[in-house]
Amino acid sequence: MKRITVGMSGGVDSAVAASILIEQGYDVEGLFMKNWEEESEYCSAEQDYKDALQVCDILDIPLRSVNFAKEYWDRVFQHFLDEYKKGRTPNPDILCNTEIKFKEFLNYAKDLGADKIATGHYVRNRDLDGKVQLLKGLDPGKDQSYFLYGLNQHQISSALFPIGDLEKPNVRERAEKLGFDNFEKKDSVGICFIGERDFKEFLQQYIPAQPGIIVNSKGRKVGEHDGLMYYTLGQRKGLGIGGGHSDGEGAWYVLDKDLENNELIVGQGHDHAGLYQKCLTASDLHWISGEAPNSENLKAKIRYRAKDARCRITDMNDETISVEFEKPRFATAPGQSVVFYEGDVCLGGAVIDKAFNS
Amino acid sequence: MNYFDHSATTPIHPEVLDLVHSIQKNVYGNPSSIHRLGRKARSLIEISRKQIAKAINSDPTQLIFTSGGTEANNQVLKSFNQSEKNHVVTNPIEHPAILKVLTTISSQKISFDLVPVNEKGRVSVSEIESKIQEKTGLISVMLANNEVGTVQPIKEIVSLTHQNGVRVHTDAVQCLGKMPVDVKDLGVDFLSLSAHKFYGPKGIGVLYFKNKDALSPFMLGGGQESGLRAGTENIAAIAGMGLAAELATDGLGNHITELKSFEAQFKSGLLSFFPNAIFNGDIKNKLPGLVNVSFPGHRSDILLAKLDRSGFFVSSGSACGAGAVKPSPVLSAMGLADEINISTLRFSFGSSNNSEQVESILSELQTILTD
Repeated sequence: MKRITVGMSGGVDSAVAASILIEQGYDVEGLFMKNWEEESEYCSAEQDYKDALQVCDILDIPLRSVNFAKEYWDRVFQHFLDEYKKGRTPNPDILCNTEIKFKEFLNYAKDLGADKIATGHYVRNRDLDGKVQLLKGLDPGKDQSYFLYGLNQHQISSALFPIGDLEKPNVRERAEKLGFDNFEKKDSVGICFIGERDFKEFLQQYIPAQPGIIVNSKGRKVGEHDGLMYYTLGQRKGLGIGGGHSDGEGAWYVLDKDLENNELIVGQGHDHAGLYQKCLTASDLHWISGEAPNSENLKAKIRYRAKDARCRITDMNDETISVEFEKPRFATAPGQSVVFYEGDVCLGGAVIDKAFNS
Repeated sequence: MNYFDHSATTPIHPEVLDLVHSIQKNVYGNPSSIHRLGRKARSLIEISRKQIAKAINSDPTQLIFTSGGTEANNQVLKSFNQSEKNHVVTNPIEHPAILKVLTTISSQKISFDLVPVNEKGRVSVSEIESKIQEKTGLISVMLANNEVGTVQPIKEIVSLTHQNGVRVHTDAVQCLGKMPVDVKDLGVDFLSLSAHKFYGPKGIGVLYFKNKDALSPFMLGGGQESGLRAGTENIAAIAGMGLAAELATDGLGNHITELKSFEAQFKSGLLSFFPNAIFNGDIKNKLPGLVNVSFPGHRSDILLAKLDRSGFFVSSGSACGAGAVKPSPVLSAMGLADEINISTLRFSFGSSNNSEQVESILSELQTILTD
């Protein structure tokens, strides 16, 4: 019987994943991972552990725990800060998967004698022609392949994704039937280590803020900003631009950041031309199969919640890629990843450096 | 199931369990009530007090019941926070129920010094002496350490203090039933015990004090325990602790022999297939049946998980620190390098073991270590 170590977060998805593997006859063990050392009202690790323990108690499987706070800090959080210092909008969850969950956690589970690991991600994997593919989860609202595009063949083939073909309501239903206390626990949103605290306050602890001015696309001052790192392209809320500056119709949006002059550039209206770009360049290119795709039907997402849209590769080497979309994309943010798909298959991706119109 | 974690806690003695059960069921009177059921409850408490007094050679009036060793330690230290002489001398391998209390309340009046321990975990009496100052009111040194079992030179420490009026507290929670605990012989002013370490119930402990005047009340309320610890008494647990203390001291000689034999069997068996094992602590001055051993090249969390999987229960570091693999502060204070430190397990034998079980954990360890 194969031994599977399930990453138990205390949430409903990993709990149901573990229960499914038990039904399938695996020898299942839970492993709780702590990646952030902080005793505060914002850190729910203690409650999460209790929730995971209740689940493992019902399933009658062991729950072990491991601490990767140092690895997370060094390899994920430092990078996160560096990106913000450069005015970019990083996605630490992607790095957490490649560096922690599917590296440190995987190795640790193997040291404990596991054959494979499993997680509660809404994705699927399958073997095809001697390669393993990563596929979108079947619940279109929950698909998490975007966060896993950085995995390689070894990482994906070492993992099981038991809930990838389920829909979230079904997962919750199973959890309730099994008597898991966490069946109604709300989905974690945003960046895990920030939790529900104020993003600005959090970031201020690590990066000194440099306030400056907000200008419209013609260079006229329309307000003041607290530091460029607090804003992301396409952002509408929290700009605090008063009346009397109108140079168009509708709400103000962040169009760009001028790091050199520490100016935030804004424009009015969701249709503002400055918010839409057809092309982007990206680096840290990674293909899951190990090779670049040769696809006529390439699509890509520029952020987790974006739709995948038709595009073509205009230039590429081992490290970097240039992409042109069929239709302009809204607010392409450097630091986020562009992730490529062919149908349901997640092919890989890269970190966006620049968006432009040719 | 093979339990080798008796220093974390012990299974309750069957006679103690029966007594606790019968009292919980039948003697539900409040010891402060003056009717017959209340009197019965009161007399059970006083019987227990006498049993414990006999076990540690104190007077029954020198004991108060607490919720455990942690509370007893807290009460002593916090009493000195309110005293004129509020400087404390202790050492880095005390339990967090000493160190955490001191670091927390040191922002108030109390101040403290830590004297180092040697590579065997022994404190130096002369270093303690050198830290005593005008304001020193208390020296707190455990009778034996929970992780490595090293027994401290308490009598020598006590002899230091006769001239200068410094009092001595010892946390003896690891010791009852494993070595003689005689407060008169030791000469200490305060001593903490916890019932669950000697086959008694959890959630009950006792604090011995030579003189009441140095102690402040910890819990305020109904004036129980001579006003030093308010709150309706946990009668069944108190009675259970009394019986457990009696059983532990009556059977002390035999139990020590048994523990030493498990320890010898375990050590020689282990060395036969894993000669690199490093035994930590003070071989000459240690508690019987507690083996702290490093397995160079093997991480303790992995070993612990594999043993757990096969039904063998042991500890790494201190049980309270389970979760994160951090080097044990006790072993670090003894000078152990981090990579050896995190390769260390504690096997603590007890009355739930027999020599067949020792053989089976050896065979399991052989499988794991030579895999």
